[in-house]
Amino acid sequence: MNDAFRRGAREGFRAFLPLSVGLVPWALVTGVAMRSTGLSVLESVGMNLIVFAGTAQLGTLPLIGAGAPLWLIMVTALVLNLRFVIFSAALAPAFERVPLFQRLLSGYLLVDGVFAIGAERMLASQDRDWRMGFFLAPSVYAWVLWQVFVLCGVLGADALPKDWSLEFMATIALITLLVPIARARPMVLAALVGGVATVLLRDMPLKLGMIAGIVLGIVAGFAAERWQARREAA
Amino acid sequence: MSEGQLLSGGWLWLAFGLIALATHVPRGSFIVAGSRVRLPEAVQRALRYAPAAALASLVAPDMLLVGGAFDPFNLKLLAGLAAFAVAFRFRNPWLPFLVGMAIVWLGRL
Repeated sequence: MNDAFRRGAREGFRAFLPLSVGLVPWALVTGVAMRSTGLSVLESVGMNLIVFAGTAQLGTLPLIGAGAPLWLIMVTALVLNLRFVIFSAALAPAFERVPLFQRLLSGYLLVDGVFAIGAERMLASQDRDWRMGFFLAPSVYAWVLWQVFVLCGVLGADALPKDWSLEFMATIALITLLVPIARARPMVLAALVGGVATVLLRDMPLKLGMIAGIVLGIVAGFAAERWQARREAA
Repeated sequence: MSEGQLLSGGWLWLAFGLIALATHVPRGSFIVAGSRVRLPEAVQRALRYAPAAALASLVAPDMLLVGGAFDPFNLKLLAGLAAFAVAFRFRNPWLPFLVGMAIVWLGRL
């Protein structure tokens, strides 16, 4: 761990810290949901360590509980995780010439929040060690935080009040992520189209409406950027 | 394995393994494949809009739908808009949570 790595680690951790509070209720909810589906403590902890993905875990639990076919469980998880292909592709240039083990570890650790706070700054940095510090510190912290509070949810499942709407804190966390993004007009359009299209297409099977919404949002943002550039050139 | 019952034993752990596969292959895809695979410049530019679109599509159903039906006049939308405004205006990272949750809780009184 050299100087640049430590500097990156400090900055990445600091950038992610305020957002990480949103993981806490989300993790508690996931822990409680696994137990109430009927998993044992050991099975819940096992699922959380192997899968480590709140959306995919919450999305597949009803299927697991109903004894659905394995292929359907896997396809559902895959659809819920397609956004990571986009994130992974966007981040790939920042991982060039990084050793294979670190890339595998980074893939396992990649979560939405760290991508959202880190992608732009990682791609802008010329220093490989700084980038790895900036990615790994908040990612490892997110992993520890997630495991700890899911465990709290798993162990406290029977004692927690279920009517506090604590899961809405996760939505608020995502909303605060939109604030720095929403300062450029094509980004605002991408968000508006993505959100509205997802709501309109909500009846598509297997949560495909969300994927379609995201794709439409990206297309709208990209088209707006092009149009803006052409108008400025003219 | 019978339909309508919780997966158990080996089937359950097999399901965990498949969900993990469906999670970590997308996550690792381009990060692990690295410089051998390159996305075209236009695609990379377009991908910068992915976080904004994905965040909004995660957030919008929670604020615009009530019990699966479209309903723009609900407390969660108000709470979400207030949280956004507060985050836009002030730098305090805890304030959006306090304001947003306060509105949701007040509505239950």
